[in-house]
Amino acid sequence: MEHVIEVRELAKSFGNKVALKSISFDVKKGETIGFLGPSGSGKTTTIKILTAQLHPTAGEASVFGEPLEKLKDPSYMRRIGILTDNSGLYERLTIFDNLALYCDLYGISKKSIDEVLEVVNLQHDKNTPVQKLSKGMKQRVTLARAIVHKPDLLFLDEPTSALDPVNTKHIHEGLKQLNREGTTIFLTTHDMHEAEEMCDRVAFLHNGEIKLFDTPQKLRTRYGSSSVTVTLKGDQVVTVPKDEQGAEEIYRYMKDGQLAAIHSNEPTLGDIFVQLTGRNL
Amino acid sequence: MMQFSIRRVNAIFRKDWKDLMKNSYIIFTLAFPLIFAAWIGRMGSEDPAFQTFPIHFALVIAGAFVQAAMVAEEKEKNTLRGLMLSPASTAEILVGKSALTAVSTLVVVIGSILLAEYKVPSPPLFILSILLGLVLFVTIGTILGLLSRTVMETTIVGMPVLVIFGMGSMFKAMTDNEMIIKAVDYLPSEQLNMIWMELDREMNISGTIDNILILLAWVVVSFVIAVFVYGKRRFD
Repeated sequence: MEHVIEVRELAKSFGNKVALKSISFDVKKGETIGFLGPSGSGKTTTIKILTAQLHPTAGEASVFGEPLEKLKDPSYMRRIGILTDNSGLYERLTIFDNLALYCDLYGISKKSIDEVLEVVNLQHDKNTPVQKLSKGMKQRVTLARAIVHKPDLLFLDEPTSALDPVNTKHIHEGLKQLNREGTTIFLTTHDMHEAEEMCDRVAFLHNGEIKLFDTPQKLRTRYGSSSVTVTLKGDQVVTVPKDEQGAEEIYRYMKDGQLAAIHSNEPTLGDIFVQLTGRNL
Repeated sequence: MMQFSIRRVNAIFRKDWKDLMKNSYIIFTLAFPLIFAAWIGRMGSEDPAFQTFPIHFALVIAGAFVQAAMVAEEKEKNTLRGLMLSPASTAEILVGKSALTAVSTLVVVIGSILLAEYKVPSPPLFILSILLGLVLFVTIGTILGLLSRTVMETTIVGMPVLVIFGMGSMFKAMTDNEMIIKAVDYLPSEQLNMIWMELDREMNISGTIDNILILLAWVVVSFVIAVFVYGKRRFD
């Protein structure tokens, strides 16, 4: 399958501080990839390098098969959408005027504005000046700006960090739709639920290193417990091994009518991260 | 290959226009040179050196300070990065960001000439000198805006530079040092003064060619510096 992003031994230091230590990974066309890690783990640095806002100290990376230097070329910027932690808006202008500027810069019809405002659930606020919006609404406008031209590749740095659950769900649906239409998504997040819901594969980033990179399901299976928790009637809880002996035990509980519930003890991505790094996301 | 699209330049210009209409700080700053010119006009002097002073003032305030504030605000609010990460090229962004200031400054310069009741000698050569001054001061404003982190900082970063570049002639009266006087002679404000005084006397180009070439050199150097500083700001 065609790779949209290829990264080989990429490293970045700021003076003596090492932000990225020789990371390597690929992103396939149409995938949604999540970089999970706490603040300072190198997530934003990775996005900034891949969008040509930072020069790497060492290593190589390509986007759409071209080296990063090519990304300075405006014709490549047309294929990319970027939402970073410092994406700003014109506060005195309305939401519509902010997005209209980018429609003109990308050379697309302003009809896209209504479509994209629906995705971020701001269709009734398009004539509101940005300075009158809440922090969460502003974040949704910057997201709308990043996707208004339906990019081939979308970089999202903590896309829902300031949003309530209802709007987060709305935006996840919109991003999934965009992904179904062919957009490859590279997102960073602290939120393990977001990663589980959105991502085909997730990378755990810690101290500038990729500790793990796989599908959420495979990670959960690999780091899952070797036992299940069985709740019996009367709220008695027993731990049963996932083997033949355990199967017989569960069969006995069922036969005797004692079984109330079985829990697989599958770890969350957050649990796996703690297990690997000793710290929370 | 460097690309240039009028559509994208126009998009940035229209955005800046809508923003300007809601920005009382910039509107007041643009009005300030006109108030000064009206005051000079009421004094009734017919000395061209005195009457052209509001034109310098308009170029410095409306050209450089307004441009510096507009560019610095784009940096302060993190909107310049959005433009840099869009398909707009360096040339399109720099021209787009300068277009509204250039038009506004031209209007303020014309207004200042009328209010100061200055009789323009040899309009074609005078217009050429104004255009060179306009490009130079808007470019200096762009550099100052790119170097400042906030709109407030443009005043601190910009004041010494703009006093020297815009009103350098004043220093000649303050010193006997030959070196300083010679250096001041090459400053843009002094070159503009020399052109306007020469046009007032002769109304032809022959005595002003050297001054126009020196101004042109200032324009080229400042433009190169602006592109360099912009390039440095492209990356963190």
